[in-house]
Amino acid sequence: NLNVPKARNRKIQMGEFKVHRIRFFDYMPSAIRAMAFSTRTERLALARADGALEIFNFSDNYFQEKVLPGHDGRAVEALCWVGPRLFSAGLNGEITEYDLENLRPRYTVDAYGGPIWTIGVNSQGTLLAVGCEDGTVKMFEVLKERIQFQRNLDRQRGRIISLSWHPSGTLIAAGMMDMIRIFDAETGRATHRLVVDRGAGASKSKEVVVWSIAFLSDYTIISSDSAGKVQIWDGLNGTLIRTHLITKWDVLALSVSQDESSLVAGTSEGTVVQFQFLSSTVDRLDKDWVRTRTFKNHSHDVRALAHTETAVVSGGMDTQLVVRPLLDKVEKNTRESAIRKVSFPHRSLVCCAKKAGVLLFQFPDHLELWRLGESDGYGKPGGSLPVKRGPEKLIQLKRKGEDHICCSALSPCGGWLAYSTVTSFRLYRLLNGSISICKVSKLPKDLRPAHQLCFSTDSSKLFASSSNSSVVVVALNEPECKYLGTLKAKYGCRQPVHLLSASENGKWLATANTDCEVHVYNLDKLKLHCTVPVYGSCPTAMAIHPTTSNLVVVHADQQIFEYSLVKKEYTEWSRRLQKQGLHSLWLERDTPITHVTFNPKNPAHIIVQDLFMFCIIDKSLPLPEAKNVLYNQMTLRSLPEPDRVLHSHGFKICKDFQHLLCVSLLEDHSLVVVERPLLDIVSQLPAPVRQKKFAT
Amino acid sequence: MTLQNNMAKNQRGEAAPSSRMTGRERQMGGFSLLLESSDDEGPEEVTFEDSKADARRSMKRALDTARREKELLKEKRRKRQELFQEQKKRKLLSAEVLEEIDSTKQEQSHVKAEEEAEPEEVEGRKRNWKQNAARNLKGNYTVTTVKQSTLASSQLKAAEDFLHSRMYGPGSRRTTSNEMLSLENKMGKNKSAAVQFVKKNWACQKKAKAEKLKKTWIHMQQIPSS
Repeated sequence: NLNVPKARNRKIQMGEFKVHRIRFFDYMPSAIRAMAFSTRTERLALARADGALEIFNFSDNYFQEKVLPGHDGRAVEALCWVGPRLFSAGLNGEITEYDLENLRPRYTVDAYGGPIWTIGVNSQGTLLAVGCEDGTVKMFEVLKERIQFQRNLDRQRGRIISLSWHPSGTLIAAGMMDMIRIFDAETGRATHRLVVDRGAGASKSKEVVVWSIAFLSDYTIISSDSAGKVQIWDGLNGTLIRTHLITKWDVLALSVSQDESSLVAGTSEGTVVQFQFLSSTVDRLDKDWVRTRTFKNHSHDVRALAHTETAVVSGGMDTQLVVRPLLDKVEKNTRESAIRKVSFPHRSLVCCAKKAGVLLFQFPDHLELWRLGESDGYGKPGGSLPVKRGPEKLIQLKRKGEDHICCSALSPCGGWLAYSTVTSFRLYRLLNGSISICKVSKLPKDLRPAHQLCFSTDSSKLFASSSNSSVVVVALNEPECKYLGTLKAKYGCRQPVHLLSASENGKWLATANTDCEVHVYNLDKLKLHCTVPVYGSCPTAMAIHPTTSNLVVVHADQQIFEYSLVKKEYTEWSRRLQKQGLHSLWLERDTPITHVTFNPKNPAHIIVQDLFMFCIIDKSLPLPEAKNVLYNQMTLRSLPEPDRVLHSHGFKICKDFQHLLCVSLLEDHSLVVVERPLLDIVSQLPAPVRQKKFAT
Repeated sequence: MTLQNNMAKNQRGEAAPSSRMTGRERQMGGFSLLLESSDDEGPEEVTFEDSKADARRSMKRALDTARREKELLKEKRRKRQELFQEQKKRKLLSAEVLEEIDSTKQEQSHVKAEEEAEPEEVEGRKRNWKQNAARNLKGNYTVTTVKQSTLASSQLKAAEDFLHSRMYGPGSRRTTSNEMLSLENKMGKNKSAAVQFVKKNWACQKKAKAEKLKKTWIHMQQIPSS
């Protein structure tokens, strides 16, 4: 009986802007189900409950580089990196390899063992083992372009929930119900049977599930189970060495560091417990697994863990990704030692039609079109304005098929709507003030599923990014859209385009891909105009200024660049900013800028927005120096008028609204701010465990 | 033992008293602890024929009881089987109803085909069909085939159910998000009330119920005073 907040569109006066404050975007993230870290490429792959996959670049400020949309019934249970290749296994009984350059599954292989619970690769990278519901561990050979079934290990009675290869590749430990089996990987025979105790009390009547298992090189096996235990076993003799009871609920995940000196266990309480291989005496002869730290960074079950060299990465039912640096591996009190939480996507799910005052919200399985409310009159700064007409939902469009929506866009006039999944592309015409909708059926065949979509400002063209960083240009016409051409990047660009930005005058189109390459095309000639010099961090947002034709690009490491498209060089302001450097508090922000826009009334303004603030960068004012206070808007308001000018600097930051999903300027100069309060998400999460707290 | 004895008596009808007594005495004789017969008396004389007849009788009795038991079990089994069959029959629609549905469907198509040609006849048939329909298909429902779910999707559902029951099923000791957040409010640095009181939109039904109760109570208070 918890109700989701009703639609609210409050208009408030903020400085010179009227602000539409929107909280009716019911964005709900999906739970994290599995993760895998690749030390070689410094990438974390993450699988969510709706089948979506996300790739985070841990060497670029934890930027969410790629998102592969989900699929009904994919039900991913486990992920595995084999070199640069990514594999997943799920309850639909299939093993999937993903094409990370085209952001889609490459192929799927049915294992014919029923639902698959776990997947693991040997250290040589030659064999993939999957644990199935029917009690078999199936071995697949990893070939160049595919995987091939090799054989089954001895079939067991009971499902295989977890498995782990011994680093030598000769043994496999498998966690099942009430027991652990050790297999000889070469002969396929089960050699040992380790019986796992069910625990006391209510647990005695239920089978204990060995949720996770790890096989170390010294033949120690670590297991975690549903009775709340982490157990240490001797894998050669099949005997129990030690039991650690760490929680009253389930221990769902385990992860061991590369050097096998530390391991972490995730529980249903939301805690992550660390064990380290330490000796109690100085001579370091009798090393033992000792419980050291406990982290409580989640409110709900922790279902996935990854232990990198310097940090513990955890995720679970509360949908947040948490990176906890280990303080014995990083320098204290630096940016590296701060805890990082990723709660929202690093890309925009909201599209604002500036001329029509209509918003498009993208959900995985449907799209919503809303008209903004109206209000009359003016008010005091910070005060609410009376609402003449409330916001209304115009259209809810459900996607066709089982694939989830990859990207969507709304034309500025509000007359065209497009969305793409990995298999299909759809374009719709909106009429009568965006109330009625009809599908455009005659589409050019070159318009294939896209990763990113963008309409031109005059709503005459549609740009759709395609493979190899190319962009397809289509003229919007009824009843048939005409293919105008394909903009091709220089040879060798393989990564997908994740940012598209068209200039207001219709002359330029800028694209950015996950290889940090930014290309600008001349739309009159439909040719490549220039390539911005590559900067080491991935672009997170960009826009082209309407009058000066300067391209503003913001990167994952919070750097800002301004590039003149006409002169093909960085602008003077940009060079000045680089020379002085950005303020340290600006650089320490841990959420990326997801939106860049401009103020038609003042050409010196750049408006940027991240999850916790939006900032109006005034190029005409001096840049903040290191000793200045960065967040100075509140103090400036309290100063008398003449003093304000003395203390002002060019970065005017507003933190009144959180968590921001979109900030946009409409044609009538009112600001649209779309918020998604975290409390509204937390209130809709599944049941957490019942903790008994003293005096409650 | 006594029941069998009685039955044996009935079967035998009026048996010879001497043999009856002998049997009883033999029974008693077996328990040397019972002091019914004194040690002074000499042993009773029992003829060979008597004892042979006795033995035959007891064997017959044993066989009879065994046979009776078998028959009883058979009866029980047969009755149970019949019950199951009946239950099964009850589950499926009776054959008549299925026939009717089929026939009405056919009639419907017939009706459509001949609509233009013979309106009067069709009217009659239609009426007939309607009556049939009213008689057999009570209420308003349609018959459709269930979507064929594949083996993989049913296995997926079963696996998901297993996971759900382990994590959220009985014995999982879970609470609600409301409780968890309310606890945080109470234990946090800036203590505040439970979330349903802090947030306007939460627990609307409960609030409506409380409001209604309040109104009723006020109304009750006002009646005696007026």
